[in-house]
Amino acid sequence: MNDGTAQPFDIYLVGVGGQGVLTIGEILSQAALAQEIPANFYPTKGMAQRGGFVKAQLRLGREAAGANIPERSADLVIAMERSEGLKAVRFIKLGGDFIVWDHVWAPTAVMMEQAPYPTLEHLSEQVHSAGGRFHDLHPHDLPKGLSENIFVLGVALNNTALGRLLQPDLVRAKVEERWPEAAAKNAEAFRLGLGFYR
Amino acid sequence: MQRKIVSGNEALALGALRAGVKVVAGYPGTPSSEAVAFLLAKKPEGVHVEWSANEKVALEIAAGAAWAGQRSLTTMKMSGLNVAYDSLISIAYSGVNGGMVVYVADDPGVSAGMAEQDSRGFALMADLPMLEPATPAETYRLSQAAFELSQRTGSPVFLRLVTAVAHSHAALEVEEDPPPPPELPILLERDIQRYTKAGAAICMAQHRDLIARLEKAEEVIGEMGLNQLTLAQEAGGLGIIACGATAVYLEEGFERLAKLGVSPESLSVLRLSSVHPLPRQEVARLFAHCSALLVLEELEPLVERELIVEARRLGYAGRIVGKLDGPFSRIGEYGLREVVEGVAAAVGLSLPKDLLRGLAAEGQAAARPITVCAGCPHRGTYLALNRAIRLLKFKKDEVMVTGDIGCTILGMNPPFHTVWNEVSMGASLGIAQGYLAAGLKTPVIATIGDSTFFHAGLPALINAVQHQAPLTLIILDNGWTAMTGMQVNPGTAEAFQREGWQRLDLAALVPAMGVQQFFQVDPYDLKTTTETMVQAIALPGVKVILARRECSIQSKRRGLRFRRVRVLEEKCTLCKLCITTTGCPALSIGEKAVVIDPAVCVGCSLCAQVCPAKAIEKEEIG
Ligand SMILES: Cc1ncc(C[n+]2csc(CCOP(=O)(O)OP(=O)(O)O)c2C)c(N)n1
Ligand code: SF4
Ligand code: SF4
Repeated sequence: MNDGTAQPFDIYLVGVGGQGVLTIGEILSQAALAQEIPANFYPTKGMAQRGGFVKAQLRLGREAAGANIPERSADLVIAMERSEGLKAVRFIKLGGDFIVWDHVWAPTAVMMEQAPYPTLEHLSEQVHSAGGRFHDLHPHDLPKGLSENIFVLGVALNNTALGRLLQPDLVRAKVEERWPEAAAKNAEAFRLGLGFYR
Repeated sequence: MQRKIVSGNEALALGALRAGVKVVAGYPGTPSSEAVAFLLAKKPEGVHVEWSANEKVALEIAAGAAWAGQRSLTTMKMSGLNVAYDSLISIAYSGVNGGMVVYVADDPGVSAGMAEQDSRGFALMADLPMLEPATPAETYRLSQAAFELSQRTGSPVFLRLVTAVAHSHAALEVEEDPPPPPELPILLERDIQRYTKAGAAICMAQHRDLIARLEKAEEVIGEMGLNQLTLAQEAGGLGIIACGATAVYLEEGFERLAKLGVSPESLSVLRLSSVHPLPRQEVARLFAHCSALLVLEELEPLVERELIVEARRLGYAGRIVGKLDGPFSRIGEYGLREVVEGVAAAVGLSLPKDLLRGLAAEGQAAARPITVCAGCPHRGTYLALNRAIRLLKFKKDEVMVTGDIGCTILGMNPPFHTVWNEVSMGASLGIAQGYLAAGLKTPVIATIGDSTFFHAGLPALINAVQHQAPLTLIILDNGWTAMTGMQVNPGTAEAFQREGWQRLDLAALVPAMGVQQFFQVDPYDLKTTTETMVQAIALPGVKVILARRECSIQSKRRGLRFRRVRVLEEKCTLCKLCITTTGCPALSIGEKAVVIDPAVCVGCSLCAQVCPAKAIEKEEIG
């Protein structure tokens, strides 16, 4: 349980509709509720079902929290898509963790080689210039068929200060509550994430 | 009471239930939609909940119920308030018997599209009280308070939320299933002095009453303690007036300011929940206590202007820092940065240049123009229309295709580039008639969704019929109000209407409106749809094409698949035409051939119909 000394912790999530970006925030909100840690979760989906930009902001540990995380203030950024990750750079705080799941969701113009697409190095440079700690995860880090968002959730809990605020076991339980039918698969994705070090 | 995570919209709905609301009517519009959607799904006992045909109708239903002595709620996004305002001003003049709350959602920062309209202006214009919460928890309280205020003053009361509050989710104590609304007698009051606008004397008397109710509201708001004033120990410091959502950034701002050497104890704060009327007593106390004031309000400087007027009236000479005199913009949302920079500007503190300003890296991100979903019926309609224009030997830049609100507007984007403009619900028809009246000789085509057609397209089509404006109207009938999250509309299939509701079939309605040239097509059938369009566009008079096929998000949810499609690798020449013409998100480029993602594809077969090499095979199911 929260002893009232929980440090505020801000998480900025970005990705593309359909990647489960909002789900990460929902699960963490549920875990925070169970630990009696105040939370404000603010999803912005625009037109999620059409593969558009999705972002969500989760502010943990503040009694009254404005929905928007100030620039240079996020303790953790989770980007589920490389190019979309660039949109989150302005929010990372000095020394904050920036996790990117290096998935490339190419818009048609990029697919047709009519428009450029950023390299991972470019994103990494930007995050470093902003003072963030860059962690890149790759589709080959995870066996096929397992949920990448659950994997990334595990990675975040083990590699950042988030794991000191929210209990990983509780988060796992919330994942299970949400998809009882996929419990085994998700437990595996979560376990691989928790055990993941680079 | 139960502690659970609710959104601002749900908090508003639950607050209304707790306040004994009996009638709820709204029209979908982001970010307001979840309030009614939540109640429709919840089916609270004894409460009438509906999606109405448009916001004006919704507001009138709420008003009728409130005249009959019951508590009512109407919900809409800011654009909807423009539609409803005509009735609202009349109802404001008459006042209400049961408490009536008008929920309007504004969108500073435009996360949902349309305008950065500041609906607080409507409260000023209509002399109606308006409350505005900063968090979901406050929304729950203010939603209940708004009913009390309305009941005690006899005035409809606005409740305004911005997107960041409406879509925020937080854990709070709520009563999930409050008792059904109390059985109140249905008032039947015949009083033309009050309920009609017959003559100058009546209207001016009502106007006087309206102003009196607003003054009463100021008093009641004071009694209810809705605004919080905290004066600094020492006089002579800065006073901050924080409106609505901005208030919640103050506490965080205090932390940062303390680090910069500004002591929070030196600041006086008025947290304004009633944006209209301005609580003049509290303002006078701030004037008496503070040497300068900082106004935190998103969008228009409305409170700022009122403060300047009050300052003049009361002879206050301190500086009022905001948008007219100060660092703030009328564009976009406020956050912590505005709090810190505003206080710094007001106390003359210089800040490190990059404080709260991050590294802008998004310029390098790939552009991601939104397109319609895999299997979207609108794709077929726009592909066919582009073909029809070509077959009629026109260039695309010669044929005006007016657009309307909804997923249908995605016809403006690649790969279609079909639609030219977007104004407001139903405007595709009026704008099209304007081009014709201006003398345009090339074809004029209007495109509109089913919900939008019911909402505001009907009178515009009637106008076209009466004046025989030779336009071609395409109604993209996907059976749902899709873009706002799949609400039921009058044309939604019978199976999805609530028990006791009746569906209106556009295929019967439109011909009955005097449209003599009416066609119906299936947009999954590219050839017939194209041929029909070619035929219709060339005809004189008003032509209407009903392009009917259910939204694929909805059909997919029910597990419907239309055809099995398969790329024949040996035939695919990798010309990529399927991708460039359809833009379907299920298609991508593989090593030897185009690849179809079976998890995304719904089998509309449009890709197969455009493939010149016949490399995509389609097979009927069932
Ligand atoms: C006056 C007004 N009310 C509500 C909205 C919100 N809104 C945007 S799109 C849309 C749905 C349109 O539905 P439909 O015409 O059926 O088109 P679809 O999205 O289903 O293709 C609505 C209600 C608005 N923009 N303006
Ligand atoms: S939600 Fe429905 S109507 Fe809208 S783009 Fe997707 S399939 Fe088309
Ligand atoms: S059939 Fe072709 S166009 Fe239709 S959804 Fe499947 S891949 Fe997309």
